[in-house]
Amino acid sequence: MRKDLVFGMAGSGGDGIVSAGDSLLQAAAAEGYHGVMTKSFGSQIRGGESSCRVRISTTPILNPGGNLDVAVALNWDDFLKFGAELPVSGNTVVIYEAATKIAEADIPLVGVTPLQVIAVPIAEMAKATAGTERAKNTVVLGLIAGWFGIGAVAVMKGIRKKLAKKGEELVEANQRAFDAGRAFAMEHPLKVSMNVAVSDTKGQVKLITDGNDMCAAAAIFAGCRFFGGYPITPSTEVMQFFTDHVWKYGGAVLQAEDEIAGIGAAVGASFAGKKSMTATSGPGLSLKSEMMGLASIAELPLVIVDVQRGGPSTGLPTKTEQSDLFAAAFSAHGDVIRPVLAPTSVADTFRITIEAFNIAEYYQTPVIVLSDQEIASRKETLDPIDTTQFKIINRQVPAAGDLVDYKRFKQTENHISPISHPGMLGGTYLASGIEHVESGAPTNSGSVHQRMNEKRTRKFDSLKERKDLFEVTGNPDAPIAIVAWGSVAGVCREALEMAQAEGINVKLMVPYLLYPVAEGAYNEFFHSVQKGLIVEQTHLAQTFKLLRMHIDLPKGVKSLARSGANPFLPGDIVAALHHLLSELQRSHEGQLQPQE
Amino acid sequence: MSATCDFQAKDYKSDLKPIWCPGCGDFSVVQGIYRALAAIGRPPHEIAFVSGIGCSSRIPGYTTAYGFNSVHGRALPIAQGIKLANPDLLVLAAGGDGDGFSIGGGHIAHLIRRNMDITYIVMDNQIYGLTKGQLSPTSQKGRVTCTSRFGSLEEPVNPLLYVLAYGAGFVAQASPTDLAGMAATIEEAIRYPGFAFVNIQSPCVTYGEEGQQIKGLKAISESLVAMGHNPADRLAAMDLAQQYGQKMHLGVFYRNPEPAPTYDGLVRERQALLSKDAPSPERILDLFIKK
Repeated sequence: MRKDLVFGMAGSGGDGIVSAGDSLLQAAAAEGYHGVMTKSFGSQIRGGESSCRVRISTTPILNPGGNLDVAVALNWDDFLKFGAELPVSGNTVVIYEAATKIAEADIPLVGVTPLQVIAVPIAEMAKATAGTERAKNTVVLGLIAGWFGIGAVAVMKGIRKKLAKKGEELVEANQRAFDAGRAFAMEHPLKVSMNVAVSDTKGQVKLITDGNDMCAAAAIFAGCRFFGGYPITPSTEVMQFFTDHVWKYGGAVLQAEDEIAGIGAAVGASFAGKKSMTATSGPGLSLKSEMMGLASIAELPLVIVDVQRGGPSTGLPTKTEQSDLFAAAFSAHGDVIRPVLAPTSVADTFRITIEAFNIAEYYQTPVIVLSDQEIASRKETLDPIDTTQFKIINRQVPAAGDLVDYKRFKQTENHISPISHPGMLGGTYLASGIEHVESGAPTNSGSVHQRMNEKRTRKFDSLKERKDLFEVTGNPDAPIAIVAWGSVAGVCREALEMAQAEGINVKLMVPYLLYPVAEGAYNEFFHSVQKGLIVEQTHLAQTFKLLRMHIDLPKGVKSLARSGANPFLPGDIVAALHHLLSELQRSHEGQLQPQE
Repeated sequence: MSATCDFQAKDYKSDLKPIWCPGCGDFSVVQGIYRALAAIGRPPHEIAFVSGIGCSSRIPGYTTAYGFNSVHGRALPIAQGIKLANPDLLVLAAGGDGDGFSIGGGHIAHLIRRNMDITYIVMDNQIYGLTKGQLSPTSQKGRVTCTSRFGSLEEPVNPLLYVLAYGAGFVAQASPTDLAGMAATIEEAIRYPGFAFVNIQSPCVTYGEEGQQIKGLKAISESLVAMGHNPADRLAAMDLAQQYGQKMHLGVFYRNPEPAPTYDGLVRERQALLSKDAPSPERILDLFIKK
């Protein structure tokens, strides 16, 4: 029995591939499995190619997985467009539409001989059983239930629920299509059985959601009561969640006329005393940068979610990348420190978003949550989260004594000044983008500017001491190291496990706080390190460069960087570690040889 | 809305000394605002006054209200956020013609269609003063400035017609040529339950042309009340607004006799309706449970 299976399916927009993936994930969750589902599309609104990956496991999942165990191609043109996103290996069972008229020996996969290749008359079976080719995806679900033992009952239960309103006839048609797929699988057993074992959490309640919904839910939990934004792929669902739910909690949402107005309204709401948020992707982040600078100098709490996609400009709007790191850290002119946090999964998006609000409120600063398309749009099954364990921090308001001759930007020991808001008697002040003295009155003084810059940057010193914003796993004294953040972190966590299983002495650091760069945490981590990899999905190795700006990395620490939409597989990382290991061994041998 | 109290104009004046040139029309505008606020009587701490960038955008700092001197062109987005976060506040926005009709020109149409209860005062001097005398969106065609040595090639924006066309519920014009009238107009704008726009012809003494100074403005000014204009007649208001640049009509061009519901009011209704059966925020993750 297997503990883990990775499915990859591709078809045309109307084939219902993503909907099949959803059904499979939900069925797996209902059967107690852990699951992750990612989607990938062309940028067409309708039609075009679409694909999904579903990974199902009996134990918690770290990432969407590497090579496919099962590939489903409803047509080859669409499947091949996803390239490295749907990697087929010698261990993959390939299932494809027989109507493509391509012989099993001639499938267009170059340089790979799959474990087994099976042509299935999917469209024909759909037509024959449900009367329409639109039931192709249900046939596929039947095949999966038959061959891999997932969802034999739960899939149809889910479909029944989903289609209940559309009438019994449609449900029955789908049942026939499902049964036909399952029967086909039973009649054509796989060469090697690939049934999945029973999950360790069978019978337990599971949650399913994606990163965007999780982010918005976390924000509302953290007390956010205003959202201003503008639709942009792949972040729009954050705003959609707010429009569905925030009113219930006395909050408001504004779909603004543009990206600038979206963040502008959020800045205004924060000035008025509400926790507020905006969400965007790369192009919107560029437009918002002036307002981010304003929030920094006016010392107003604000959370900006940037769901990264391939850039620059429109770039790859539906694919993931980590190339907004520089923009997140350095957008806006002037001397500014603006904290940047990055979640690594749907599950920890909850914690990191709450953390972003806490930091924004405590330090009175804009904070960027640097998510990415993969985390934002992938669905994960989650075990229930105990929300009572999370502490909520609110901005420090002036005490009664502070409100006599109130100074909004008063110099204090920790550089944080109690903040009033309109409606508060005695707290009136001028918020401004212009440099100001402690009272808030505008100034042109260079010495005040120097002092205020000091105040606005030194206040983050304590943030850099936060050890809990860094996760270190593996042997703390290991000579080989990996650093990775965001969605790439999950791939590296699995690579670490694989490398450790091979006996490689390696450790992994996952920073949740990307900026300001916490020199102390990195210096401690790199202390034992001779060889290492900074793994990231950027072409310019932005993380590697950002770290080198702040830290003297050991010479043997190199960059492993590639452009977005080309996912890293755990095996890629392990292969790179092998290379580092042999370098390390060679250099040791070199040291042992007597000098001539 | 808290009870109004007895306030005097001086209670709204801050200690900051304006940076404006002696004789600048904006001195009168801020006086007009003090008087209007005193007449309304909301305490300063219940007022949020937002501006963008420019000479006139310094104005919130010269009042005792909560002020926000923000970035160029963005007073209105910020004002919206404030109003939605706390609809009890009296929210004012102000700025110059460049701020409102050039760099921030995209926002006003949306404020109008949302009908937020915000009063927007534009100090229109047909020039960029803070940057020392460049063409502005309301500069007359042919105007010679340091960025138009051979004369401007473009027609000006007509602020009055612009906001009337988008359906603003309250549109008025005022000028330092009549301070009492200006104060009354601003007061009326603030009292209007919805988005209210006041264009103030406020002379730039340093870069303005002779005809745009107080004397010149007086010569072309005419009171809408004295003309017998009916402020409930939107088409008549648009007709009169076409004379922007030639005539300076003072008073209320248009006041919607049946003010539309405000966005902030509708938000409150929605909050009240939907919060009835709201699960506690601690249970928000229950939304994701798959049964």
